[in-house]
Amino acid sequence: MTSFTIEIDGRPVQARPGDTVLELARGQGIDIPTLCHDPRLEPAGCCRSCLVEIEGQRRLQPACTWKATPGLKVSTRSERIERHRRVLMSLYLADHPVDADGRPPESPDGNALRHLTEGMPLLDLDRIDSPRAGRPDDDNPYIRFDPARCILCARCTRYCDEVEAVNAIALTERGGATTIGTIGMTGLLHTSCELCGGCIDTCPTGALSEKKNADLDLAAAEVTRTTCNFCGVGCQVDLHVLDGRVVRVTSPPPGTTVNDGNLCVKGRFAFDFIHSEDRLTEPLVRGEDGRLHPTTWQDAIEKTAAGLLGVKRRHGPGSLGFISSSRCTGEENYLVQKLARAAFGTNDCHQCAAT
Amino acid sequence: MFGAGAMTNSIPEIRDTDMMFVIGSNTTEAHPIIAMEMKRARRRGAKLVVADPRRIWLAEQADLHLQLRPGTDVWLINAIMHVILAEGLEDREFIARHTEGIDELRAVVERYTPEEAERITGVPAEDIRTTARWYATTRKAGIYYTLGITEHTHGTDNVFSLANLVLLTGHLGVPSAGLNPLRGQNNVQGANDAGASPIYYPGYQRVDDPEARARFEAEWGVPLDPTPGRTLPRMMEAVCDGDIKGLFIMGEDIVLSEPNVGKLEQGLNNAEFIVVQDIFMNETCRFADVVLPAACFAEKDGVFTNSDRRVQRVRKAVDPPGQARPDWEILCDIARAAGYPMPHYQGPAEIYAEMARLSPKFAGISHPRIETEGGLQWPCPEPTHPGTRFLHEGGPIIGRSRFRPAEYRPSREQPDAEYPLVLSTGRTLYHYNAATQTRRESGPVLKQPTNFVEVSPRDARKLGLTDGERVHVCSRRGTVHATVMISRRMRPGCIWMPLHFSEDRANLLTTEAGDSVTGTAEYKVCAARIERITDPAHTEDDGGARAAR
Repeated sequence: MTSFTIEIDGRPVQARPGDTVLELARGQGIDIPTLCHDPRLEPAGCCRSCLVEIEGQRRLQPACTWKATPGLKVSTRSERIERHRRVLMSLYLADHPVDADGRPPESPDGNALRHLTEGMPLLDLDRIDSPRAGRPDDDNPYIRFDPARCILCARCTRYCDEVEAVNAIALTERGGATTIGTIGMTGLLHTSCELCGGCIDTCPTGALSEKKNADLDLAAAEVTRTTCNFCGVGCQVDLHVLDGRVVRVTSPPPGTTVNDGNLCVKGRFAFDFIHSEDRLTEPLVRGEDGRLHPTTWQDAIEKTAAGLLGVKRRHGPGSLGFISSSRCTGEENYLVQKLARAAFGTNDCHQCAAT
Repeated sequence: MFGAGAMTNSIPEIRDTDMMFVIGSNTTEAHPIIAMEMKRARRRGAKLVVADPRRIWLAEQADLHLQLRPGTDVWLINAIMHVILAEGLEDREFIARHTEGIDELRAVVERYTPEEAERITGVPAEDIRTTARWYATTRKAGIYYTLGITEHTHGTDNVFSLANLVLLTGHLGVPSAGLNPLRGQNNVQGANDAGASPIYYPGYQRVDDPEARARFEAEWGVPLDPTPGRTLPRMMEAVCDGDIKGLFIMGEDIVLSEPNVGKLEQGLNNAEFIVVQDIFMNETCRFADVVLPAACFAEKDGVFTNSDRRVQRVRKAVDPPGQARPDWEILCDIARAAGYPMPHYQGPAEIYAEMARLSPKFAGISHPRIETEGGLQWPCPEPTHPGTRFLHEGGPIIGRSRFRPAEYRPSREQPDAEYPLVLSTGRTLYHYNAATQTRRESGPVLKQPTNFVEVSPRDARKLGLTDGERVHVCSRRGTVHATVMISRRMRPGCIWMPLHFSEDRANLLTTEAGDSVTGTAEYKVCAARIERITDPAHTEDDGGARAAR
């Protein structure tokens, strides 16, 4: 592919066919504000935040959809662009809830409107408060939609279409009533939704949020990066911990790990088992009465070693079997086979899913 | 097959592929994030061919759905190769440089004509021809498979056949192509890598290779048994036969996951000593003499190795509950109590270092490196090696790769008058294996509270079944309850059931008949029948209450 040069804010920038002005500008560290952009989605050009001046074009044009061509000249900063952004953001805010300080409310993942209007002198517009409908009776356990905070950037519906490809949600109604809807506005459990939660992940304003941890101070959570424990894809996940409990799971940003910002229903939401009341919390040994009784670690370990050694002494090492686990870590599997081979003298060691 | 048991290529390469041949994998449910890459390739215009007895979601999106009869994969793949050879579409240069035994393959597949294949597999001959042409003439064409290929009495034949197809067309050592088994568990790959295998020490070094053994004997300070051990299915047989009398079981619920568990339970009753180490009181604990509480993934450090050979970190985020401890600590204590001087490791990083020291394939991987560089894909023989994105660049690792032509052998158990339906089992999106984790979670439980059986509309009509009705599903080995789900996804004559429900265990029905090489059981094919329940006491039992447990 032949590369060519374009100019952004007076700087020469190498480009290849298909590159967009937004990608190229961001590659140069030039910040262009966006609301409807997500690198996992086709550019939509619908939020109008990223408009820039392109030489030869009468109107401002969206940087996210504008493809580079040889000799293209782009300005990302000008009085005209500033004026456009101020009007645009003022319009967004007129149809968005505001806090006591008159600013858009925070959400666990921030609020792009709040961020983009930081320090911006806004116009004093009348409030619009469009009549977008929500689904207050949606009884799905994970995903909450607050229509007031929705800016109709359609990242959630495009994610549901382009990435997850189940099309459970879509833009419905028209005009000021346009909203994120489902078929017949039923709850997500009754749609093709697979509860992956990608819509929450991509939402820029917190209109979509998690029900599981709605009342918690997620900003105070400590985050640990680890690997998901379900299937073999190896998704990287961030565990958010409050008061010693995992309260939320998110993906690292798109473009950084094997899962590219995505998670499935199990990876994102199925973490309650960690703190289940049913977890085993103490070693148990079967007594004379045939029941399992709590005991000390020392006793349990001694009984384990003695029991296995007893079988070996009576019947030889071929009478022992060691079953390791594809759910446990590599180091633990290493130790099970070392235990079988070095401590008990048998190669009868296998794991549960040797397929 | 070509010298390494793993995905030849990488997950992020899928988005750039030009053709995907997905066989025996319900990717959207079992590997949702890999499926997203497939969907992405599909949007780019990549061709998609899905071979599966069920009209799964991917099949709906596919250019071609080859809805074969369960267990006829070898016929289908041989017929595809027949077409490729008949039309001269094979990669002659690759065959000449990197393979041997093409004449034997030619002799076998010659008899597998597409017309005859149509009769046996139920897949139209023209679709077989189209698949063959697309696959052979697309450079970046990848094969993706999982347990629909391996969980058969002829599972090894299935894998060999797919490997033959890859070699025949030279789809090896090329980005976005290759032969890609998608691993079902977070760390199946890593457990194999670490030597949790009766044949291999860590790093795929054979126990009967004197040189490898000498290396491990020197590091571990004890003489080691030179004879390969028994695979898990053989061990389960030995438990039933009374040859194995002591079991150490870590993190698996064999009573839920092994086939034909009724028989296995008798064997477990007769065993002398059983230890279970797990995070929950599972079904197998009923037979245990000692139960050891372990830490779950969020409570310990270590590594998991994913499907594309990527070694990634597991990091402790929270403390284990009560007295539960990380498995690695418990294992070290047991070894020492049994008189073996297991080193006092500071932590998993040191354990990994010992394994890497003994395994050339991972010698360049370490915890500190993963901290700074992120996941590393083996082979990675040196600390400066960047890891390997796709395998076999410039020819198979083992040098020349031999074609292993396979003849079709029918599945062990065929439907008959008494058990006229073919039952396959598998996993759903919402639950995971024994479901000890997912059935403690509201979403999956709301979506799928109870065991169900998918039945084609035609069979449902024939049996007079209504959607949502509770029935008995019976095989020669047992009977379980299930809710009827009438589904156009099913081929007439075939039914499907998930394996997740401990109160209605699909594995009371499955056969332990195993593959002749791996012993892997035929979870995908057994003969069954559906009986309507006339006793109203049973129909009230919808399992919902138990599911909330």
